Amino acid sequence: MDNNEKELIETPADVSQTATDTAPETTDSTPETVGTATQSHNDSHRAIDLAPAPEVLGQETLDGPALVEEDPLAEVATIPDELPPEAQKEERKKHPSPFRESMQQFRRDKRAMISLGFVIFLIVLALIGPPIYHHIGGTYPSDLQGKIGPDIYHSYDHQELTKVNQGPSAQYWLGTDALGEDMLARLMQGLLISLTVAFMVEVVDVGLGVSIGVLAGYYGGWVDLLLARFTDLIFAFPGLLFAILLTGIFGQSANDYFAKLPLVGGFLSNGNASLVIVSLALAFVSWPMMARYVRGLTLQIREQQFIEAAHTAGTPDLRIMFRHIVPNLFNIVIVTSTMSIAGTIIGEAGLSLLGLGVTHPGSSLGLMIADGMSLLELYPWDTIFPTLVLAGIVLSISFIGDGLRDAFDPRSVG
Amino acid sequence: MVLVLHCESILHIKEGSRMTRFLVKRLVGLIFIVLGVTFITFILGYFAPGDPIKESMGDHFNPVLWQNLRHAYGFDLPWYQQYLNYLVKLAHFDLGTSFHPQQRPVWDILKDGVPISVELSLWGTIVTLLMGVPIGIIAAIKANTWVDTLNMGVALVLYALPSFILAVFVQILVLWIDKTGIGWPVSGWGESWQYSWSDLQYKIVPILTYGAAGYAYYARLTRSTMLEVLRQDFVRTARAKGLPERTVVFRHALRNAIIPLITAIGLLLGLLVTGSFFIENIFSIPGIANITVAAVSQRNYPVIQATTIMVAIGVVFGNLLSDILYGVVDPRIKSE
Repeated sequence: MDNNEKELIETPADVSQTATDTAPETTDSTPETVGTATQSHNDSHRAIDLAPAPEVLGQETLDGPALVEEDPLAEVATIPDELPPEAQKEERKKHPSPFRESMQQFRRDKRAMISLGFVIFLIVLALIGPPIYHHIGGTYPSDLQGKIGPDIYHSYDHQELTKVNQGPSAQYWLGTDALGEDMLARLMQGLLISLTVAFMVEVVDVGLGVSIGVLAGYYGGWVDLLLARFTDLIFAFPGLLFAILLTGIFGQSANDYFAKLPLVGGFLSNGNASLVIVSLALAFVSWPMMARYVRGLTLQIREQQFIEAAHTAGTPDLRIMFRHIVPNLFNIVIVTSTMSIAGTIIGEAGLSLLGLGVTHPGSSLGLMIADGMSLLELYPWDTIFPTLVLAGIVLSISFIGDGLRDAFDPRSVG
Repeated sequence: MVLVLHCESILHIKEGSRMTRFLVKRLVGLIFIVLGVTFITFILGYFAPGDPIKESMGDHFNPVLWQNLRHAYGFDLPWYQQYLNYLVKLAHFDLGTSFHPQQRPVWDILKDGVPISVELSLWGTIVTLLMGVPIGIIAAIKANTWVDTLNMGVALVLYALPSFILAVFVQILVLWIDKTGIGWPVSGWGESWQYSWSDLQYKIVPILTYGAAGYAYYARLTRSTMLEVLRQDFVRTARAKGLPERTVVFRHALRNAIIPLITAIGLLLGLLVTGSFFIENIFSIPGIANITVAAVSQRNYPVIQATTIMVAIGVVFGNLLSDILYGVVDPRIKSE
C-alpha cells in the first residue's frame, strides 16, 4: 500500500522528467529554451531555484542517448535541484527512477516472477523442444512404413495408426492421441502456434493501438470521433463473435490461398493457413481497447506544460508525438498488451476448439482439446494435457499482467 | 425497439427532459452501431470467396438455373442495392435465405436453437448475479480474512481462465459421477423451458459452468466497489450514530455500490455470449452457437451472418437497458 501511494505521487513527475530528457535533443534549441521547458513543468516554487539547472540538465542528457526504449527515465532521477552534483549522485542511489522502482516492485512480486519463469520455460520448450525431441530415441519398426527414426515418429503430424491412444511410454513420453500422433510433439507445436499468434496479434495491436490512440488523443476532432464510434462498434460486437464470422467466411479459402505463397507457404500449409485469418480477426478486435487507453493517457500528457514548451520551441507535431508522448506511454502499453496476450491465446485456442482455426494435420492446444473431447470417457488424458498447459499459460500471463499493472500502473483498479 | 421506446416514455414523465436527452443520444448511437454491425456482416458475406450457389449445385451445374438462383438470392444487384435489401429484410425480421438446404429461410434453421440459447444465457446471468454479488459483499465485509482470500483466489483463477477450460474439467467430473452409477446425462439439453428432474439434470451443470465466469467477474467487482464505499465518510457517520451493521451494509453501502454493478451488466453480456459458444460446444447443447459452427463447415454464410447480427443486437440492447437502469438508479445522471 505504501508503495502504491508513493508511486501515485511520483507518476506525474515521470512525465515531466522525460521532457527534460528529450527536449535538448529533439528541439534545436538554446539552453534558454530548455530552461523554460524545465521551469514550466516543475512546481512553481521550485522554478525560482532553477537558475543553474539548464547547463546541468543539458550536459546530462546530451551525453546519453535521448531515448532509451527500456529506460527513458533513468537519466534524470528525482533530484532536488538545489543540491551540489556529489549529493545529487547519492540522492539518485537512494531514490531510483520511477521505472527502476517499478521494476524492483515487479521483481518482488513472487507470483508474477514464478509465472514469468513458467512462461519463459514454455517459450523455450516450444522453440527448441521439437528439434531436441526429434533426436531422442532409436529407430522403430513401423508396421506400415518400415523402419522410421525419432525425427519421424516424434513429429507432430506423423500418424502411427497401429499405436493409437497409448499411455505414456519411453517412445511416446505423453502417449499418443486417437490418430497415433505423439502428444508431446503436438503439445509443443500447439504452444508454438499459440505464441506465434500472440506475437503477431500483439505487433498489430501495439502498432495500430498506439498510433491511432495518440493521433486521436493529440488532434481530437474527426480522428477521435471515428475512433470512439469504432470502439463502440467493436465493444458491441463481442470480439470472438467477429473472429468467428471472419474465420467462418474466409478460413477455408485462406487454407487454399496461403499455402501457395512462396516463403511462408511451408509453414502455413499444414492446416495452419486460417491462422492468418484468426490473427487478423483477433488483432482487429483487440486494438481498439489499446487505442482507447492510449488516447486517454495522451489527453492527459497533451495538457502537460512540457508539451506546450515543445510547441513554443517550434517542434513539429509528429516529433512531439513520437519523442515526447510515445515514450511516456510505455507503462500503459506494456500492461495492456500483456493482458491482451492472454485474451489472444484464449481466442486462438477457442477458435481452434470450435474447428475454425488450425485444422489437421496442424496442431493447436484448442484443436487437441477438441480432438480429445470425443473420447473423453475412455482416454481423458488426451484432453487433460492440453487443457492443463493452456490453463497454465493463460493463468501465468494474467498473473504477469497483474504484477506489471501493480508495479507500473498503480492508479488503475483491477 | 418498442420496449425501449416504452421505457423512454415512462422515464420522460418521471425524470424530465435531461434523462430523455441522454436516452435519445444513446439511441442515436445505438442506431449507428446497429448499422455498423449489419454493414460489416453484410460486406464480409458480400466479399466471401467462392460461389456458394455453384458449389451447392455440384456436378449438376446448370447455367440457366444458376442465373435464376442468383436472381432469387439477389446476387446480381450492385452491392448497395443488396445491402439496402438486406436491411429492409432485417427490419421485417427476415434473416435471409439459407444456401444449405437451398431456399430455406435462415430462421427455420435457427429457430430450434434460439430458445435454448436464450434459456442458457438467462439462467447463466441469474446464476452470475445470485452468486457474484452476495459473495462479493461477504468478501468485502470480511476483507483480508481467510474467507476473503479464498473467495478472491477462486474468483481470480475463474476470471483468468476461459470458460471452456472449466467446462472441460466439469465434463470430466460429470463423466466420473456418471460412471459411479448415480447416472447423470453427460451432454444435451432436454426440453427447453421445461423443468422436470430429468430436464434439470441436463441443465444444471452447463448453467453453473456458464455462470462461473461471470461470477468471478462480479464477485471481484462487487468486492472492490463495496470496499470503496465502506471507506466513505457517510458510512462512518452511519456507524457512529449507532446503526446496526446490517443496516449500514445493506441500506447505506450497497445502495451506492450498486451503480457500477449495473453498468457492468453491459460488459458482462459480451463475456457471457462468447462463453456460450464454448459451453454449447463442449456440453453438446443444440443452441444457436452449435448451429452456427455447423453452418461454417457448410459455408452457409447467411446463417453465420444472422447469428452475428442477432447476438450483436442483443448485446447492444442489453447495454442500452443497463444505461436506462443506470439513469433510474443514479439521479446524478440527470444533472450531467
